[in-house]
Amino acid sequence: MYTMGIDVGSASSKAVILRDGKEVVAGLAVQAGTGSSGPGRVLEEIAATSGLDLKDMAFILATGYGRTALPMADKQMSEITCHAKGVFFQDPSVRTIIDIGGQDVKAIALDDRGGIRQFYMNDKCAAGTGRFLEVMARVLEVPLEEMAEYHFRSKNPAQVSSTCTVFAESEVISLLSRGTAKEDIIAGVHFSVAAKACALAQRVGVRREVVLCGGAAKNGGVADAIEKELGAPLVVAQNPQLTGALGAALLAYEEMMRKERSA
Amino acid sequence: MEENIKALLEQFRAIAGDPRKAMADHLAETGKGAIGMMPIYAPEELVHATGYLPVGLWGGSRPVTKARTYLPPFACSVMQQVMELECEGAYDDLAAVVFSVPCDTLKCMSQKWKGTSPVLVFTHPQNRGLEAANRFLEREYAILKEKLEGITGVKITNAALERSIQIYNENRAAMREFSALAAQYPQVISAVDRHAVFKARLFMEKSRHTALVRALMEAVRAEEPQPWTGKKVVVTGILLEPNGLLELFDRLGLAIVADDLAQESRQIRVDVPDGDEAPLYRLARVWQNMYGCSVATDTKKQRGPMLMDMARKTGADAVVVAMMKFCDPEEWDYPIYYKQFEAQGVRSLMIEVDQESTSFEQLHTRLQSLVETL
Ligand code: SF4
Repeated sequence: MYTMGIDVGSASSKAVILRDGKEVVAGLAVQAGTGSSGPGRVLEEIAATSGLDLKDMAFILATGYGRTALPMADKQMSEITCHAKGVFFQDPSVRTIIDIGGQDVKAIALDDRGGIRQFYMNDKCAAGTGRFLEVMARVLEVPLEEMAEYHFRSKNPAQVSSTCTVFAESEVISLLSRGTAKEDIIAGVHFSVAAKACALAQRVGVRREVVLCGGAAKNGGVADAIEKELGAPLVVAQNPQLTGALGAALLAYEEMMRKERSA
Repeated sequence: MEENIKALLEQFRAIAGDPRKAMADHLAETGKGAIGMMPIYAPEELVHATGYLPVGLWGGSRPVTKARTYLPPFACSVMQQVMELECEGAYDDLAAVVFSVPCDTLKCMSQKWKGTSPVLVFTHPQNRGLEAANRFLEREYAILKEKLEGITGVKITNAALERSIQIYNENRAAMREFSALAAQYPQVISAVDRHAVFKARLFMEKSRHTALVRALMEAVRAEEPQPWTGKKVVVTGILLEPNGLLELFDRLGLAIVADDLAQESRQIRVDVPDGDEAPLYRLARVWQNMYGCSVATDTKKQRGPMLMDMARKTGADAVVVAMMKFCDPEEWDYPIYYKQFEAQGVRSLMIEVDQESTSFEQLHTRLQSLVETL
C-alpha cells in the first residue's frame, strides 16, 4: 500500500511516498510554495521519479501552510503534528524539535512515545525564518547554499538583531558599508536565527535529543549556531526539508489502518 | 436548530456588532445618552442608576493608522484600537467616559484622551487586603458619583443605586448560568454566538439583556443536549476577538466550555455583596472580592489553580491562553500559571490576540495542532 504526504509551505513544496508505512519510496522538494506552480510540480516530479501516480495512493494527507488548498488530499493536518511524526519516525530518541521553515520557526516538545507535549511558533514576524535567511543572502550577494562555508570561516561573528527582519537588513547593510567581512556578517545572521529558535525551544523546555529540521537545517551554519546557542548537541534530521511530508505520509498510513480496522 | 434560538442568537449578534444602534435606540426611548466604560472594571451600576446607557469600550477591528501618532507600537492591541476610534471621533457622542486605570497603559491612556467627551478617571487601590482600601475606593466612587451627577443632571439616590445593583447581580447570575449552559450545548451555541451574548451585554441595558439571555436559555433547554465529539477548552485572557478567530474554534470543533476573559466572565465573576452597608461601600467591596485577574494584585497567584479547577469541573481538555498582544499584566501572569499547568500535566496553548488581525492562518495551524494532539 502506498500513501503520500504532501507538505506545501510558504516557500517550497515537498512530497513523500511511503510503502506500507515503513519504506520511503520517493521524496523530493520543489523550491516554490503555496499559490505557485510548486504543488503541481512536486506532484509531477514525484510521479516521474517513483513511477507511481496519484491513483496508486491509498491515502494522501496534506500539511503545511498551503494544506487547505490541495483538492487531491483526503485529509489535512497541521505541520506541527506532521513534523513531530516524521522526526520521531526517523529518530525515536528525539524529545525537542526545532523546525525552521520559510516563514515559521517552531519548537516542539515530545514525550517518550512521540506525542506532542507542547509547541511554540514565532509570531507574525519573519525574523529567524527561512525568509530572513533569503533576504540576508540577497543583501550579501551570497548564494544560500554557500552561507555555511562563509560561516565556518568567521572568526568574529557580527551582532545582528533577531527581532525584526527589516531592522536586521539595515544592520547588515551598515555592517557591509563599514567593511565588516562577509563571513562575520553571515555568522552573525546565523546566530540571530539561532537566538530566535532557541528562545522558542527554551519555552517548551529543551530535552535531548534535540533535532533540527525544516529547509534552514540544510544550512550547516544555522545548525552550528543553534548548537552553540543551546549549549547542547544538535542532530540535523535526515532530509530535513522532508520531515513534514514524511510525517504526513505516515499519518496517511495510520488513517488507512484505522479505516481497515473499522471496516 | 429551532427557529426561535436562531432568531435570538441573531439578535445578540446584531447588538454586539452595532453599539451605535443600541445607543440610538436607548436615546429614542429614554431621551438619555450613553456613557463609555473603559476596560476593565468600573462600578457600572452608578451609571445605570442615572438612566444613561453604559457602553463598554473594548476596541474594535480597524486598521490602526492614526493611533500610531500617539501610541508606541508596543501598546496593547485593544488600546491601539480605542485610540484609533478616539481619533476618528467615534466616542464623541458619549456624555462621558468612565476610566479605571489598573494597568500602566490605561493610566497613560486616561491622560491623553483624544476625544471630546469628559473623562472620569478613578483609581483602584493596589492593596486589596486592607479595610482602608475599601474605604479609599468607596471615596473614589463617591467622587465619581458626584461627577456623573454633574454631567447627567441626575441625582443618584440610594434607592436607584440599590435597584441598579440588583439588576446587575441578576444579570451576572444569568450570565454565569448561560456560560454553564453553553458548555452543555456547544452544537447549539457556537463560540461566535457565545461571544455575541457576552458582547451584547456591553451595549445593552442590563435588565433587558437578562431578559433576552433568559429567553435564549429557555429555548436552548428545550432541546436535547447532544454528545460532543470535538474537544473542550477553557479560554483565558483579556478578550477573544475578532470573530474570524472564534470561527476557527467552531471549525475545528473546539467548544469553549468556560472562560476567564476580562471582557466576558471576569465581568460577572463577583457580585455586589448584600448587607446593611451603604451601596457605594458594597460596590467597593467587589474589588476586594475579585480574584484570578492579572490586574487585581494577588500575592498568592491563584489564577493557575483557578483555571485548572475550571478545566476539571468542565471536563476541558486544555486551556487556551488568548494573549492580548503587548498586554504586560497578562504577559507577567503567564509564566507563573504555565509552570503550574506543567506541574499538573494540564495541556495549554497560547495564541496571540490582535484585534486588528484579518488573517488567521498561523492561528489556524496552532489551534489545529492542539486539537490533533489532545
Ligand atoms: S490590561 Fe492589558 S489589555 Fe488591558 S489596557 Fe492594560 S495592557 Fe491593555
